[in-house]
Amino acid sequence: MEMKFRIIVLAGILGLGLAAGQEPQVSYQVQHLLTASSPSDSRSKEWKPGDGLTLEVSGMAWMGKELALSIRKGEVWIVENPLAENPEDLKFRLFASGLHEPLGLAVDGDDLLVSQRAEITRLQDSDGDGVADAYLTECDGWNVSGNYHAYSYGPERDGEGNLWVTLNLGMGQLADNSIGWRGWGGIIGGDGRFQPKAMGMRSPSGLGANLDGDMFYTDQQGTWIPASPVYHLRPGVFFGNQESLGTLENPNAPFQLSQVPKPNQPYPKALRSVKEFVPPAVWLPYNKLGRSTTDIEVIPEGEAFGPFGGQLLVGEFTNSAIQRVFLEKVDGEYQGACFPFLDGFPAAVVRLSFGPDGSLFVGMTNRGWSSLGNRSYGLSRVTYQGEAPFAIQEMKARPTGFELLFTHPIDPESVKSDSGLSMTNFTYEYSSSYGGEEIDTQANAIRNRTLSEDGKTLVLEIEGLRELYVHELHLDGIRSRSGESLSQPRAYYTLNRIPKP
Amino acid sequence: MPAGMMELGKKSTGLRPRTNPVPSEIRTNGLFRKGSTRFFRSPLGSAAWLVLVIGVCLWAKIPVFSQPHVAGYERFHADEASVEGGAILFSELGCASCHGGSDMIVPRQGPALTNLSSRVDRDWVRSFLKTPESGRKGSTMPSLVHGLSDEEIDGVVDYLGSLGKGLKFRAERHANAERGSALYHEKGCIACHEPTDDFRGPRARGDQFESEFAIAHPELTKKTSLAALHHFLMQPSAFRPDGRMPHFALEKQEAMDIAAHLMDFQPSDPREAVTLKPWPKADASSIELGKAVVQKQNCAACHSLPGIEASTPFPLDATERATGCLSREKEEGVPFYPLSEGQRASLLLFLSREDRSSHDELSFAAMNCVACHERDGRGGPSPETDPYFVGMESLGDSGRIPPPLTGVGHKLLPDAMKHVFTGLEGSRVRSYLKTQMPVYGQHSEVLTKWLQEEDSRVETHSDPLDAEPSGDSIGAGQKLLGIHGGVNCITCHQWDQKDSLGIPALDISRLDQRLRYDWFHEYLLNPASYRPGTLMPPLWPGGNSTVPDVLEGNAEKQIGAIWAFIAKGEGIPEGFPDRSGGQFELVPTDQPIIQRTFFNQTGTKAILVGFPGKVHLAYDGAKGKPSLIWRGGFFDAYDTWFTRAAPFGDPLGEDTRLFEGETGERRFLGYRLDREGNPTFLLRVGDQKLEDHFEVSDGILKRVLRWDSGEEPAVGHPKGVEKTIRRKDGLLEVEYRWK
Repeated sequence: MEMKFRIIVLAGILGLGLAAGQEPQVSYQVQHLLTASSPSDSRSKEWKPGDGLTLEVSGMAWMGKELALSIRKGEVWIVENPLAENPEDLKFRLFASGLHEPLGLAVDGDDLLVSQRAEITRLQDSDGDGVADAYLTECDGWNVSGNYHAYSYGPERDGEGNLWVTLNLGMGQLADNSIGWRGWGGIIGGDGRFQPKAMGMRSPSGLGANLDGDMFYTDQQGTWIPASPVYHLRPGVFFGNQESLGTLENPNAPFQLSQVPKPNQPYPKALRSVKEFVPPAVWLPYNKLGRSTTDIEVIPEGEAFGPFGGQLLVGEFTNSAIQRVFLEKVDGEYQGACFPFLDGFPAAVVRLSFGPDGSLFVGMTNRGWSSLGNRSYGLSRVTYQGEAPFAIQEMKARPTGFELLFTHPIDPESVKSDSGLSMTNFTYEYSSSYGGEEIDTQANAIRNRTLSEDGKTLVLEIEGLRELYVHELHLDGIRSRSGESLSQPRAYYTLNRIPKP
Repeated sequence: MPAGMMELGKKSTGLRPRTNPVPSEIRTNGLFRKGSTRFFRSPLGSAAWLVLVIGVCLWAKIPVFSQPHVAGYERFHADEASVEGGAILFSELGCASCHGGSDMIVPRQGPALTNLSSRVDRDWVRSFLKTPESGRKGSTMPSLVHGLSDEEIDGVVDYLGSLGKGLKFRAERHANAERGSALYHEKGCIACHEPTDDFRGPRARGDQFESEFAIAHPELTKKTSLAALHHFLMQPSAFRPDGRMPHFALEKQEAMDIAAHLMDFQPSDPREAVTLKPWPKADASSIELGKAVVQKQNCAACHSLPGIEASTPFPLDATERATGCLSREKEEGVPFYPLSEGQRASLLLFLSREDRSSHDELSFAAMNCVACHERDGRGGPSPETDPYFVGMESLGDSGRIPPPLTGVGHKLLPDAMKHVFTGLEGSRVRSYLKTQMPVYGQHSEVLTKWLQEEDSRVETHSDPLDAEPSGDSIGAGQKLLGIHGGVNCITCHQWDQKDSLGIPALDISRLDQRLRYDWFHEYLLNPASYRPGTLMPPLWPGGNSTVPDVLEGNAEKQIGAIWAFIAKGEGIPEGFPDRSGGQFELVPTDQPIIQRTFFNQTGTKAILVGFPGKVHLAYDGAKGKPSLIWRGGFFDAYDTWFTRAAPFGDPLGEDTRLFEGETGERRFLGYRLDREGNPTFLLRVGDQKLEDHFEVSDGILKRVLRWDSGEEPAVGHPKGVEKTIRRKDGLLEVEYRWK
C-alpha cells in the first residue's frame, strides 16, 4: 500500500507575549504528523478504494503504545509507533473497515469499542493477526431514521466505569427527534441496550471525564443553543434543547420534566423556572472563543503538559483551535472559566487524546463544514517544552469577586491601570433560534485589587456579580515581572453560583 | 388572538420586535392606546372594563373597536406619536390620494373594483361600505357613506356591480387544503398575516401566535368564493396594484391549495365549492344614482374607476386640529377613520410640519419589506413570526431567514436587483429558503433606482477586472476556491451544478453577475459584520491569509484572484470528487468486502457483503435477517463515504431478489469473519443462539445456519432463485442459484 505523508512544519505556536528585543519563547511545539494534500488523497482523481489513507480522524484511543484512530469513511487504523521522532517513520495498519460513520473510539481490555450510526461495536482480533475479525454489537437500542445529522458519539468511560454515549439530533429530511433517543446521553446497559440518562442535547460531539471521573460533554451552537456550552453530564437533567421533547412520551424515559421551560426569555430566568434544567459548567462565547466545540480531554495530573494538570481541553471545529477550561465546584456544582489556548491547526480539531508520554495528539477533519484550517484532515502532536506560558492558570469565584492564579508573578504596577483590567457580564436569550446574541450586558466595576506577596495570586473585588451570567474579563494591561503581556489576555467565567462567604 | 382585540391594555412584553425596544415609560403615556390601562384600573374604569370585556366577547368575531391597521406603523410607531408614524399613515390610509404630499416610493392605491360581482358577495360589499372595519378588521378604507340614504348606498353597490363584463373562472379539478396550509404557513404569508390555530410547524404552533402586527383577513367565506380567491391569488397585482398585498408567482395548484386552506374547503374537488350568490340585476337609475355618489365622494382618488377622474388634490390646512377626516365623530360628507388617539396624534404631528417629505426608510415600513428583511438594525421577522420562517436548517438562521437589506444597493448590481424584483428565473439564489420573495414587477425600476441611490457609496476596493487579471491570478483563484491548499469555499458552497462537499450554501459560480466587487471584498474580510451569526467563517481573520503560499499570502490579492476566477476562469475549483469511471465502486477481488450504510429495501442498519464471485448480499442488522441479494456490480460507496447528506444506497448490479418468510423477533449480535473474510452473522432468537454464515463459490451463494438448541428457526429465502436445502442436526445448508 502506497502512502505519502507530507510534513508541513514543525513549528511552535502560542509564542508568548514578547517584551521588546526578546526571542519568542515557545511553550508548546506542534508537529504535524500527517496532513491532507498528498495525491493519494481519496478525493483526487488517482485515488482508488484501498489506495492510501483519508485520515479524517473521528475517534482516538490508546492501546498501550499504539494509537488507534477511527476515520469518518468507516475504518480503524492503528498507528504502531505514534511517538516516533520523525513523522515519516510512522507505520499505519488497517485494523477494521466497512463501519458506518464511526465518531468515537474507546479501549476495553484487548478490544476496541467504536460508535457506528446504529450501534456501539466491539472490535475483536481473536486470532491475534493484528486485524479485527469480530464486529460484535456492544450496545444498540436507539432509533436511526436515516437522517444524516443523527450522529452517534462515544463511548467514553467515567470514573465508575460507565461507558457514555450521546446521540445527535436529526436535522432536515427524514429527521425524527421524537423517537428514542435523539438528544439524549446515556450509558451502555448490562443488557447491551442504551440506557438514556439525560436529555436536551443538540449536537453532543465531545465527551470526556475529568480526573475525578465526572463526565462532561460539549454541545454546539445551533437551535436552542445560543453559544457552545460544556456541561456536566449526569442522570436526570435537561440541557435545554426542546427538539426531542417527544421522546419523553416513551415509557422507558427515565424521568419527566416538571415543566417545559418557556422560550424567548433570558437564560437565567428559564433555568430558574424548571428544576431539571441545568446550566452549562462553562459557556464558550460564540466567535469570542470559537464556534463549534468538539472533544473534551482532561490534561493529565502533573507537569508533563505544563501547569494546567486536571483542567480540560476542548476542541474547536470552525476555528481549528483548542480552548482550555478550568473548573471548580461551588455548592457541589461545577462552574468555571474558559481561555483561548492553541490555534492555527491545519484542519478542524475534532478529537484530542494524550499519549503515554504526556504529549497531546490532535485528530482533525473538515468533512461537512468548513474551518480556518484549510486542509481536509490531519493528525498533529503537541508537546510541552518545559517553560510555562504567561497565562491565567486558574480563575476561581469568590463571594465578592474572583481570584486569579497566574503562571508567572505579575508586576504590581500593571494591576493598577483601569483600562488594562475590565469586566463585563452578559447572558443569552433562551429561544429556539439557531444561536443567539449576548443580551443584558452590564459593566462590572472592579473595586479592589489585591496581589499576593509572591505576585501570582490576584484577588479582584467586583461589583455587580450576577449569578448565571458569563463574566468576561480582559487583562490587556497585566504584565509579568519581566514585562511580558499575557499570552491570552481574556477569560470567560460562567458564574452559575456566587460562593457564600 | 386577533390583532384588533389587543388594545385593552394588554402587556406588550415580548410582543415588540427585538430590534425596536421601547422604554416602558413610553407605554404608559395616557395619549396612546396602550395607556388605556390607567383608566381601566380606576373604579369607573373597572366597570367599563367589564362592559368592554363582555362586549368584546359577544363580538368575538367582529370587535367593536378597530382602528385602521397599517403593519409598519403598528410595529414601529404605535407606542409614541411621531412624524414618521404620521408619514406612514398619511400614505397608507390614502390621505395623500386626496391631498397629495406623500413621497413614498410606491404610492398607495385602492384595490381594483371591476368585476366585483364575479368576485365578491353583494351583501358583504354593502356592509363593508357602511362599516369597513366590520368587513375586514383594521381596514384602511374610510367610511364614506354615513349620512347617505339606503337608496344611495344601494346605488353605489349597483354601480360597482355594473363595472366589468364579469369573470369566468376556469374549473379546477383538485384542491388540497392541507397542502395549502403548509404552503400558507411556510411561503411567507405569515410575515404579514396570522397563522391558523391548528397549524403545527417544526418550530411553531398556530394557537400560540399572538402578534399586534398581523394583518387580518376578511371573513373570506362571507366575502368571496373559492374560485374567485384562487383567481386573486394567481395575480394579486391585477387587483392590488400598489404591492401592499404583493404579487407571488404561485403555481396554479399552489394558489388553489392556499385558497382552499383559507376558505377551509376540505373536499378535494373545487367544483363542489359554494359559488357566489349572483348579484340581482340592477336598475339603470340606481346605477346612475350610485355613480353620482361615487363621483361626489371622490372614490376615484384611491380606486381606478372607468370614466371617472379623481378631483384635483387639495392641500390641507395645517392649522386644522382633529377635524375633518381626523374628527372623532362622523361628519357628513367627510371620510371617517376610526383612528386611535396615537394615530391621530401622529398624523397631526406630521401635518404640522411644513416640509412633509418623508424619510426614505419609511417606504420599507409602509410596504412591510421589514416583515421579512432587516435593514440597518430594524425589522426582520418578529419574535412571533420568526418560527414560521423555515428552510435549510443546516445553514443556521441564514438558511431560513431572508437576507438583510442593509446596504443592499451597494451589494447588488442594478440589473441583478431588478431581476430579483421582477422574479426573473435564476435571480432568486437562495433556493433553500421556503419563504418566497414576492414579485414587484411594475415597481421594479423605481425600487431599484431608489435603493441603488440610497446605498451608493465611494468604493474603496477596485474591481480586479478593471485591469485584465493575469492567468496566474485566475489560477490562484481556482486553487483558493478549492480544497487542495485553498480556503475551501466549495466545502460549503455549490458551484454551478455541482453540490458542495458539505452544507448546501448558495451557488458562488456567478457572483460577479450579482455583486459589486467592493461589497464582496469587504464581506469576505468579515462576514459576521454583515450578517451576525452567519456560518461563514472569517477566512482572512484580522485581514491575514490562512494560505501563506498563494500570492504571497496577500489577502487583497487572494480575494481579487477568487473574483477573477469566478468571472473569467475556466474549469471548476479543485477538490470536487470526480465520479467518472466508477472510482468509488467497491470491487471485491480476493476477499469479500463488507460495508455498512443506509440502503434502500434494507434500512438504516444495512450490512452489505460483496463477494468476489459477483453475488452480493444486503443484511438487515436491525432485524437480524438477510434482506436482498443481487448479481454483477456490488456497491458504489461514494455517498456513504463522502456525501454529507447520507442518501440511501442501491445495489450496483442487477437481478435483485428480496428475502421473504424470515419471521420472528431476532436480536442481532454482530458478525465474525473467517480466514477468507466470509461473514457469520450472530443472532439470538429467544434463548436460542443462531449463526447465519454466507459465502460464494462458482456464482452460488451458500448459506449455513446453525443453532444451539430448540426447534429449527423460521428461515426465509429470496424469491425467484433456485434453492437447494439440506438439513442436519442443528444445521441447515442452503444454496441459492439464479434461474
